[in-house]
Amino acid sequence: MVAVALLVAVIAAALWRSDESGTGARNVGVEAAAPAAGPAAPQAPLAVPGVPGATCPPTVTNPGGRNNYRENAPLDVPLGRGLVITGVVRDTGCRPLPGVPVQVWLQTALGSERENRTTVLTGPDGRYRVASDPAVAQFGEPNVHVAHDPEDGPWASVWQRHVVDPDATLAVVDLTLVPAS
Amino acid sequence: MRALVGAAVFGGALLVTLGLTAPHLARASPALLVSTLAGCVAVAALAAQPWLTRRRVPAHVRLGGVVAVLVAVHVLALVVESPDDALYSMSPDGPTRARMALFATVLLAVVTLLGLLRRRLRWSAPTWRFVHGSLAGLVVVLGVGHAVLIQGALDGWGTPVLLALGGLGVVGVVVRLVMVLRTGDAMPHDRGRVRPAGERPG
Repeated sequence: MVAVALLVAVIAAALWRSDESGTGARNVGVEAAAPAAGPAAPQAPLAVPGVPGATCPPTVTNPGGRNNYRENAPLDVPLGRGLVITGVVRDTGCRPLPGVPVQVWLQTALGSERENRTTVLTGPDGRYRVASDPAVAQFGEPNVHVAHDPEDGPWASVWQRHVVDPDATLAVVDLTLVPAS
Repeated sequence: MRALVGAAVFGGALLVTLGLTAPHLARASPALLVSTLAGCVAVAALAAQPWLTRRRVPAHVRLGGVVAVLVAVHVLALVVESPDDALYSMSPDGPTRARMALFATVLLAVVTLLGLLRRRLRWSAPTWRFVHGSLAGLVVVLGVGHAVLIQGALDGWGTPVLLALGGLGVVGVVVRLVMVLRTGDAMPHDRGRVRPAGERPG
């Protein structure tokens, strides 16, 4: 009986210490009215833009970030409407990085993560934006993947997996890149 | 007893119906469909299992084998559906619900092995029943808990049905464990390994 009680305690501790949506994954969804199409993207202010000496912690690839990743996603392909995935790409000095490719992929009602993907370039303010159909549960929870993935660019690759609520209309995933070594 | 097993069968039929009619599976791959349905039937079978242990032991043993096969099919179909997501879910970095499923699967393997090795282990019948039953109770709690936390085909009405089936299974396990702890729970097939309550050692 003691051994069984000990086993229950070990399992309870392991569950208590686990991350609800997986290690490093957070809910990045917002249930706000967001434009599903068109160029007017929500403009969140940069954290500390242009402040001399400011530092932004580099984004670290989280577990599951590369799940169902494929190279060479089609450029700027619309993925539907209802959910906007956006964010700002910066360097560790918190300066926005224009013209940086960002790949986004997610499961929707019409396509799996392996099919539903596109690469977009950041604008002059370092912001990228992808309009998509709403995310649907993939292995128990809707999630979005965002990556900076070129192998030979000036910035190191990074992959992110985060979750959203099913009725989220906006998902914000910012990336802070470090120079490729 | 028969009514409770019937309730488990009815609950399983409800889960399968809810899964088959869920929008989430409307365009799902065959692998995801098979995985979901195998999970639904496994939950119902787990709910019925403790109620078969007293007078329907052969059925309990056969159904235990069926549960093990269903869970194996459930997991393998998920690997076929998306190897990346399946391996991630089974890793230490997976979400809480996946960790629950992983513990439930490992414990189910242990419970099944205990069943297969019962004669070789030479444990007393009450000891074997307590270990087998308490681990099986954990399988029900963790397995059904994992299913409740999953978003997808069994959202909405699926949640109360899952909770009812989980409750049926847990109550069955607790009732059985209490009998084992109180009386030793002697049964005809114990072949003298358990003395019925009140009988003096001779």
